[in-house]
Amino acid sequence: MKKLITYIYILIIPISSFASEYQVDRSKESQIKFISDAPIEEFEGITNNIDGYINLPSFEQLDESQLYFEVDLETLDTGIGLRNRHMRENYLETEKFKYTFFEGVFTSIEEVSEKEYNVKVSGSISIHGVVRSISISGTLIKNEKQLTIVTSFEIALTDFEIDVPELMFMKINEIIKIECTIFTKEIE
Amino acid sequence: MMRSFGKLFFIVFTLFFVYETAAQGTKWKRRIIPNKLKTQLFHSTQSINLPTSETLQKGDLFFEISHRFIPTIKSGSKEFWGFDGPANIRLALGYAFSDNSILTLGRSNLDNNFDLSFKHWLFESKIFSLPVTSSLLIGGSWSSDVNYSYENDFDLFQFYGQLIFNTMIEKKLGIGLVPSYLYNSHIQCETKEYSFTLGSYMQFYFSDMYSFIVEWNPTVTGWREDYNPVSFGFEIETGGHFFKIILTNSSDLNASQFLAGADKKFSDRDLRFGFNIIRIL
Repeated sequence: MKKLITYIYILIIPISSFASEYQVDRSKESQIKFISDAPIEEFEGITNNIDGYINLPSFEQLDESQLYFEVDLETLDTGIGLRNRHMRENYLETEKFKYTFFEGVFTSIEEVSEKEYNVKVSGSISIHGVVRSISISGTLIKNEKQLTIVTSFEIALTDFEIDVPELMFMKINEIIKIECTIFTKEIE
Repeated sequence: MMRSFGKLFFIVFTLFFVYETAAQGTKWKRRIIPNKLKTQLFHSTQSINLPTSETLQKGDLFFEISHRFIPTIKSGSKEFWGFDGPANIRLALGYAFSDNSILTLGRSNLDNNFDLSFKHWLFESKIFSLPVTSSLLIGGSWSSDVNYSYENDFDLFQFYGQLIFNTMIEKKLGIGLVPSYLYNSHIQCETKEYSFTLGSYMQFYFSDMYSFIVEWNPTVTGWREDYNPVSFGFEIETGGHFFKIILTNSSDLNASQFLAGADKKFSDRDLRFGFNIIRIL
């Protein structure tokens, strides 16, 4: 009987210690930035309003992993109030589509150094009410109870049915670069 | 026996706990951020001459160049319907000290008038499910070069206040009401005149880019030049710019001059062309 109990415990303990959920660390400034690099005018929009979680039970069984991040698009700031308003009202239509989100799983995690991993995630991204599948590579930094994700990728506005403005003096690149730094910490 | 039963119970409990944590469920919940966005109705910070309640985002700058061509369209092709000039010109620079306030310094070549104004957001509300926004504008102006004699320098200063109420129907038709008070309306008068006007305007947005504006500023009581100013025209909005091309019976641009009334009768052949260009950066 005693042997059995010990056996079960040996089995349980490793499992339970890996079953972990990380949520966006609200005490740190996670940041998502988009960059439109048109020939005449480059501009960027920034938000720190990122929320979501990572479920990463183990680094081996990745199909059990989960990622979900969302951004409140009303908080995107390009530095000029009128430009923010145009972006919200005419292009992103934030009254209808307030949140943009990514939902997916880790598909590969490769150790680069002690704390740093090259990761690939794949899943779906929703912008402007349009959901598209996407694969993104990035860097994962594991620091005790914290996971930090750093990545950048590109999206095409037309993929998400966002009109590319053709107005005078308004130059936006159809391809938008997105840079993310997301801090998460393990929850109890 | 009791001891091993206790152990078994503990194992079952632990297993259950592990199962729960390992399950795909998440403890994450969306945190609701209070909506900080201000209600914005009109696109521009002014209609034609009268202000809208709109303010800018903290740190934004705007620059205005406006013309009112003095010859009326009556002058015909000989003076290119007024475009040959001369024109009254206003240049202005505004800065948003906060999300709620703009300080604007302007200058018109008419009497070399300088004006300094401060607009502050008051409130937003709903009346019969229509959004209503309100701002207060106060300002003063100084005519630095007049071609007549005057008694003391203070006679050249004018002060004004405007309470602005805006509403918007279906995001298409903006309506504004601007009761305004002007002190020392007529700087040549020996006694200090005042004017109280009830300005109003409507702006219809055909699309994100094009809109039509009508503006009327009748004097309710106090001093007035010959007629009430009436203006109408189109606004084109592109990127950070507003272009307004208008017809009006007034030739004035700076608030202290405009609020005192117009010199031409609003009959179809005695109007002037004018334009405003506002760039927000």
